[in-house]
Amino acid sequence: MDFSELEGIEGLRWSWHSWPTSKPEVASLVVPLSIMCTPLTPFTELPILPYEPLNCSQCAAVLNPYSRVDYVSKIWVCSFCYRKNPFPRSYAHINENNIPAELFPTYSTVEYHLGTGTVSGLASGLVRSPSALSGLRSNSSSFSSVSAYSGGGSGLDWAGVGVAVGPAFVFVVDGCSSPEELEALKRELLHTITRLPENALVGLVVFDAMVKVYDLGFTECLKVVVFHGERELSPEQVAWCSSRVGLVSTKVHDNTLAVREGWVRNRVVLAPVPLLLSCQGAFGPPSHEAVSWEGISSTKKGFLLPVSECEFNIMTAIEDIHSSPLVKPGHRPLRSTGVAISVAVGLLEGCLINTGSRVMVFTSGPATTGPGMIVNSDLSYSIRTHRDLHNGYASYYKTSSEFYKQISHRLSDSSIILDLFACSLDQVGAAELKFPVESSGGFMMLGESFESEQFRKCLRHMFDRDDDGNLKMFFDASIEVVTTKDVKICGALGPCVSIQKKNDSVSDKVIGEGGTHVWKLGTLTSKTCIAFFFEIEHEQNAQPSSAFFIQFITKYRCSNMGLRKRVTTAARRWVGKHSPEIASGFDQEAAASVMARLAIHKAQRNLAEDVIRWLDKTLIQFASKFGDYAQEDPSSFRLSTNFPYETAFFRLMLNREGVVNSLIMVQPTLFQYSFDGPPVPVVLDVCSISPDVILLFDSFFYVVIHYGSKIAQWRKLGYDRDPSHESFKKLLEAPELDAEQLVAERVPVPKLVKCDQHSSQARFLLAKLNPSVTQNSTHTEGSEIIFTDDVSLQVFIEHLQALAVQG
Amino acid sequence: MATPGGPRPGNAPPNYNPNALANNMQNLQINQQQSSNVGGTAHRPPNTSPFGQQPPPFTGSRPGPIPPGVFARGPMPPSNPAQTTLPPNMVPTRPTGPPPGSRPPPFASRPPPPGALPSPITGTAAPPNSGAGPRPGPFSFSPLTSGPSAPPQMSSHGQVSNGPPAFGPGMAQSGPRFPPAMGGMPRPSGGPPQSPPVLSSGPSSQPLQVRPSFGSPPAGVSSSIGQLAPPFSTPSQAPPFSAPSPAPPFSASPQNMPPPPGSSPFSPPVPGVLHSSGSPFGMQTWPPQQQQQQQVAPPPLIPGAMQKQQMFGMPPGQPPLPNQSMSLGQTGQSKIDPNQIPRLSTSSSVILHETRHDNQANPPPPATSEYIVKDTGNCSPRYIRCTINQIPCTVDLLSTSAMQLALLVQPLALPHPSEEPIQVVDFGESGPVRCSRCKGYINPFMKFIDQGRRFICNFCGFTDETPRDYHCNLGPDGRRRDADERPELCRGTVEFIASKEYMVREPMPAVFFFLIDVSMNAIQTGATAAACSAISQVISDLPEGPRTMVGIATFDSTIHFYNLKRALQQPLMLIVPDVQDVYTPLESDVIVQLAECRQHLEILLESIPTMFQNNRIADSAFGAAVKAAFLAMKNTGGKLLVFQSVLPSTGIGSLSAREADGRSNISAGEKEAHKLLQPVDKTLKTMAIEFAEYQVCVDLFITTQTYVDIASLSVVPKTTGGQVYYYYPFSALSDAAKLYNDLRWNVMRPQGFEAVMRVRCSQGIQVQEYSGNFCKRIPTDVDLPAIDCDKTIMVSLKHDDKLQEGSECAFQCALLYTTVYGQRRIRVSTLSLPCTNMLSNLFRSADLDTQFACILKQAANEIPSGPLAQVRDQATNACINILYSYRKFCATVSSSGQLILPEALKLLPLYTLALLKSNGLRTDGRIDDRSFWMNYVSPLPTPLVIPLVYPRMIAIHELDEKELELDDSIIPTSIPLSSEHISDDGIYLLENGQDCLIYVGASVQQNVLQQLFGISSVEEISNQFILEQYDNQLSKKLNAIVNEIRRQRCSYLRLKLCKKGDSSGMMFFSYMVEDKTPSGLSYVEYLIHIHRQIQSKMT
Repeated sequence: MDFSELEGIEGLRWSWHSWPTSKPEVASLVVPLSIMCTPLTPFTELPILPYEPLNCSQCAAVLNPYSRVDYVSKIWVCSFCYRKNPFPRSYAHINENNIPAELFPTYSTVEYHLGTGTVSGLASGLVRSPSALSGLRSNSSSFSSVSAYSGGGSGLDWAGVGVAVGPAFVFVVDGCSSPEELEALKRELLHTITRLPENALVGLVVFDAMVKVYDLGFTECLKVVVFHGERELSPEQVAWCSSRVGLVSTKVHDNTLAVREGWVRNRVVLAPVPLLLSCQGAFGPPSHEAVSWEGISSTKKGFLLPVSECEFNIMTAIEDIHSSPLVKPGHRPLRSTGVAISVAVGLLEGCLINTGSRVMVFTSGPATTGPGMIVNSDLSYSIRTHRDLHNGYASYYKTSSEFYKQISHRLSDSSIILDLFACSLDQVGAAELKFPVESSGGFMMLGESFESEQFRKCLRHMFDRDDDGNLKMFFDASIEVVTTKDVKICGALGPCVSIQKKNDSVSDKVIGEGGTHVWKLGTLTSKTCIAFFFEIEHEQNAQPSSAFFIQFITKYRCSNMGLRKRVTTAARRWVGKHSPEIASGFDQEAAASVMARLAIHKAQRNLAEDVIRWLDKTLIQFASKFGDYAQEDPSSFRLSTNFPYETAFFRLMLNREGVVNSLIMVQPTLFQYSFDGPPVPVVLDVCSISPDVILLFDSFFYVVIHYGSKIAQWRKLGYDRDPSHESFKKLLEAPELDAEQLVAERVPVPKLVKCDQHSSQARFLLAKLNPSVTQNSTHTEGSEIIFTDDVSLQVFIEHLQALAVQG
Repeated sequence: MATPGGPRPGNAPPNYNPNALANNMQNLQINQQQSSNVGGTAHRPPNTSPFGQQPPPFTGSRPGPIPPGVFARGPMPPSNPAQTTLPPNMVPTRPTGPPPGSRPPPFASRPPPPGALPSPITGTAAPPNSGAGPRPGPFSFSPLTSGPSAPPQMSSHGQVSNGPPAFGPGMAQSGPRFPPAMGGMPRPSGGPPQSPPVLSSGPSSQPLQVRPSFGSPPAGVSSSIGQLAPPFSTPSQAPPFSAPSPAPPFSASPQNMPPPPGSSPFSPPVPGVLHSSGSPFGMQTWPPQQQQQQQVAPPPLIPGAMQKQQMFGMPPGQPPLPNQSMSLGQTGQSKIDPNQIPRLSTSSSVILHETRHDNQANPPPPATSEYIVKDTGNCSPRYIRCTINQIPCTVDLLSTSAMQLALLVQPLALPHPSEEPIQVVDFGESGPVRCSRCKGYINPFMKFIDQGRRFICNFCGFTDETPRDYHCNLGPDGRRRDADERPELCRGTVEFIASKEYMVREPMPAVFFFLIDVSMNAIQTGATAAACSAISQVISDLPEGPRTMVGIATFDSTIHFYNLKRALQQPLMLIVPDVQDVYTPLESDVIVQLAECRQHLEILLESIPTMFQNNRIADSAFGAAVKAAFLAMKNTGGKLLVFQSVLPSTGIGSLSAREADGRSNISAGEKEAHKLLQPVDKTLKTMAIEFAEYQVCVDLFITTQTYVDIASLSVVPKTTGGQVYYYYPFSALSDAAKLYNDLRWNVMRPQGFEAVMRVRCSQGIQVQEYSGNFCKRIPTDVDLPAIDCDKTIMVSLKHDDKLQEGSECAFQCALLYTTVYGQRRIRVSTLSLPCTNMLSNLFRSADLDTQFACILKQAANEIPSGPLAQVRDQATNACINILYSYRKFCATVSSSGQLILPEALKLLPLYTLALLKSNGLRTDGRIDDRSFWMNYVSPLPTPLVIPLVYPRMIAIHELDEKELELDDSIIPTSIPLSSEHISDDGIYLLENGQDCLIYVGASVQQNVLQQLFGISSVEEISNQFILEQYDNQLSKKLNAIVNEIRRQRCSYLRLKLCKKGDSSGMMFFSYMVEDKTPSGLSYVEYLIHIHRQIQSKMT
């Protein structure tokens, strides 16, 4: 079976499909034991089970087709720890002929549907129960008084009426953008608002030198809370400040909401208490706190309200945004991006919406003030480069990174996603901002203008809805990995965060986000892919050819707030020493992706040159061991050495996408369109360029249509409009259609570049081609030359062979 | 050494152009000859004079607006509706008397005082008159004096006294809300202020007033007055105090005078300051009681005293000092007839006062009297008053007298409408001529020598070259020939246009930033609504023009700014949540030109109360809000008007309810009680100093029903040249009008920004300390982010050398400031007083009001720093020491049983007693009340000091009956503050310049109640009282009286209705300072106490 077909069934790609049983042998594989897991792979046939999964009482693994079941005594044996578990009463009718879907051998993946976002009867019952609230307040009457206060237009309404609250979106807009840019952005935002589901919560933050949070529930006039852009606010401070202006007030409502919804039951009691304490401890006279809680909820401010309630207000507010940069001559505008993000996060934290929320930052320049600043506003200081970073010349880098790391902790604690839409001709400081975006699973788009198609498509794509009208977004996910005893979990690379939950199967060796068997993801899409790394126990008792199991339990929330759990159980075999199965089970593509991630992971700590050296070394080792299989070509993955922010973006995407897409990033595809027939893939080599063909180049981030010089000339002459040259017209159209298709499916939307041979835009293509012809090699007429010091693939492989033999 | 004028180190004021100020203050009319001050405003184009614009505000209902400076003392009470309504006292009326020019005749014509006067007097008097003809004696009655200068003006204006016109409009509208108040002030229009009778009677009195010719020995009599020989015991002697007054002759009040008992010789014109009611100064009418009166005589020359007294340092032959003595039997007060003890008297007549006469300084009339000043070289006493009108040559002499030497400086004081405006002098680029050594400004006392080529500074004695273009030859009298044409050489007060060197930056715009408390309490008590409404109405009173900028913010536990400059109709509210470390949201658009945002502002003010109507936030971040507003104003400076309703409980500078703490450990805390009157910490003080540095002045309007720790809060206004307004317990119903009027006066009154003040003295004397509401960064100068006509600064002086007998000692106050119209000016007031070596002269020329004001202010300063008992003792000791010194060195030897009081200071014991019983020095007061009192007193102008401790009380129920008397003054004769004068069927009004209590006895006739208050029984009296005007004489008169008082006090007064038997009644009686109270002596007892102390010192 093809590896990718297997992926279609399991949603997994294994670098090695057969695992050796001894540790030294594993080490000699060079490429680590790893699995690229795409948790939400769209399956054609995915059973959705409307009940809770059965967990092993010992290892918490979910009942799966590999479990042995004793239908008579109604007992099942965990396939991981061999624990015997009785079936609960609801499984009373189980028998050989009546088995639940999760036991069907064909269903290696099933999904459990745990609840919906709509208020259920059970929830409303809970609301009245004082016990649920007793931890919160001394008596239930105070609760009722709160709700009484919030009579009109307050946040409670939406909870009270029983409308499910949707995901929350806080739009963070850069007020320093130029008026034109801002207009385009506002247009898009307004459009976005109209497309949001009614129950989605929205908030609006605008920043320049100050950070303004709009109160969307206030109807008398436009009302904003202003935070100073230079002051770092601790989370407590944000909570505190926001409590005084009522930012937190929704907290109260949310608790009640949570109660109604049932599934957050335990949080209701626990969460608010520490929060309250932290407020009191950190600031202010505690005695007042109690008072202000009442006060707050009554005067309810709506910094975060359902679209249905504040549509008019937020539209007005968005329209009210105007370009307000305070620019001194010779200075960059003052942007307090860091504080703005912090405040937006605080807003969501305050509301305790762990149910899925995004902070969407739209900016058009680097942060120049306050925590998280990237560069001094004085233009005489230029923005840092990679080299500066490594040499320690980037004075703000360290503190900013530290700041953003803290942000990312907060994001992850509250399951908030940070998205960054940067449209600027200048750099915006994505290197620093990358961390929270990455760890929260957020989306990053770097473009040149908010007026660009690219931006519009990206944004609209994010808010696509499925057939039921739900946003195609998933929130608050966690992935738990359960393994057979001999398999140890090292870590994961991808848009996830370790929650440091250890058990027996967690290895001491850490790769990436490690030290845990559960990871948290702010969000995920159907394409999100995580690389998990494993190793095997020192004392290996497993018998070759016996099976081992790995189970992935992915819990996530749909945009309609329904909670789901997808369980994938996979089995592979141990193999003995030097078994040929090892080599035959090697998935070159998966390995390349994994290595790419590892390389990036290293690159974050080391100089690019070191990483390349490491890659080369690894490759040599690998080649010397599996000489026959050295088809892989990590070298074509070139770490770009230009700007940190772009790099960050690329790395981030590479870290997230699945094997196929990663490969495109690592090794782009190149198709040739000519009169000679249907498009054919051609070698990614400069030799492929020729004057009479059109090339379609896809590097994931860029899609380049490259017209050979003759074609370009013909086009200029207008042959395509000449009916007698119908075929030429078709030739021109074909790559464009294909390109559009590529572009449509992908997020972030790639930049589509159309260029003619020898034009400046052609550099996008040339940069990625194998330099078989350089200024150093013999020059053939009519072909392209690439000026580079990089070696060509051929030279590389020759070297590789030599070294491998030596090795 | 920054001299006031010189370039200032720090903040610098900018500069401006000349006329603005003038417009600003009505009195300053430059070059406008014809416009007499009177009513000057009326003539001006509305816009120019700030005051002129009154119309809008006044809309009938609000009585409030205080008239701009029009009246000397107070602006017109807003309430006055019609222009016609001029108060009787007003100048205009007065003129009616003798036509100009007639003046001389009056004297002559008038018959000598009735026989009552001792012959000597008459005798003396007469001569002067005739002889004096030429001199319009300073003291003469107005009619007389009116002579040249005054009369014309008045006549021209007719009844319109200043201000009136302005009000006119308002009047019309009157009606609505506060109708009553405004209601018609029945103003005897046109009526001469002085009742006709006066005139007629006048003649007799005049002699008295006339200064006795110096030299005329006979006068000596006066001294005798004091001595009432016999102890009180004898009824006959009752009159002891009073010298037989020549009373009848004098104005109406005089009539009240008891017939002088023959026994006591009355001394005629006594040199002493004192004068009987009849005296022009009018201050004392000793109504029914008998008191002796003395006429004021020009200080220097005192007519001989009848009795010989040994006077300290006096050369033989000196006239005796006037004094008052009473015998206090040691045996008991029971024998004292309370009616005979010295009491305050008032006179409604207007005094004309020339500041210098015959090249001699004229002692000023009492601060509390109504007078019109003619600046003849010394500045008007409104601007500078000295505690003693002759300067002791040596420090020993001063300390022997036990009096203090200090100046009360009120540089922008409101002039009387009939006074000539201050002249503005422009020296162009070079700026005013100054002494190159001490930087004193050119003034009439600089002596030009050497054919005018050089001049000698009257402060430091340095000789300077006269600038070439300022040169002028001297006349035969040694004066420059152009002296009379140059205001700076012939006037005590002039205003110089500041040149560039007086500016560190462009003159600042007039910035008004309103900061309103919208916390739960403020909203619920209606304070927010009241503030918004007041501001909204006041906006139209702000100075017109592009230089006027406004901003607004509200606050509870956060601060809310508003962007006023927006294309959109909807206001934008910007909330600053961080109240620990505040900032201001936008650098622009928070403070905007008034012209650009008038509409927005109105809409906003209207909606603020509704926007916050459901606010449940009880916390108030006062300190943070003020700081944030300051940050917004930092670039320009300006006035920050804060409306605060609760104790600041959060954010920077938050406070705790110390009062409660204080109460809980009263036992332990008694010793520490005064600490509650100190600011709790330095936070606000530090902030305030920063504010002052950036020329931000904070005024605090406290509309509260609880303790707000004024002791701490008031530091901010005090340091920044602002003031505290206190509405406690705040009632939206009855206080809204006052709030509005206070605010209106606050923004409309003559005022200046970014000011620096310095007082210079002649060699031998130097300034020891300044005290008042300001910020002092360097020892010599006083920084005033803002200064207005109501602010007084006390300047205590000390000797650093001996002065020459016969020389003069000069004081010069220079105030560099920016007008609301953006002109930079230097107002220079110079006062030159004679030096003396004689103790008796000191007592004779002592200025009671000023002395007492100093004692009061010092006591107020002391209160927070020590136990109360100590402060009280100090006050009493100050009084005792002075009297003792007089008794020992100046009074005749007499029975030790006699208490002898210097005539000039005879009321000192009464005032001191009243001081002890005032809010500030009582132990039973609320902490906040005491703090407020201290704060109120600090910048208090001299004329308001006396009423503060010894309020004016009048009977209202008798208004109808006293119709006749009313003709000459709206306000009836006041009654001593003793409960024995309160009858159960009477209604009394008592006012102290701040509060106005109307006490209704338990058995008042129902119809009177009905007429005045529209109620049928005392029980219906409610706590919240609004004076309304009903359609009957009585009610109209009451309203007229209240309005007149408002005008006089420049204050709207908090009206409160009191009835017997409840707390309001108790409060009313707490003002009866002559009564014996559980914690205080009665007046008589106090006199005895003092007497004993003196006696014990003597022995």
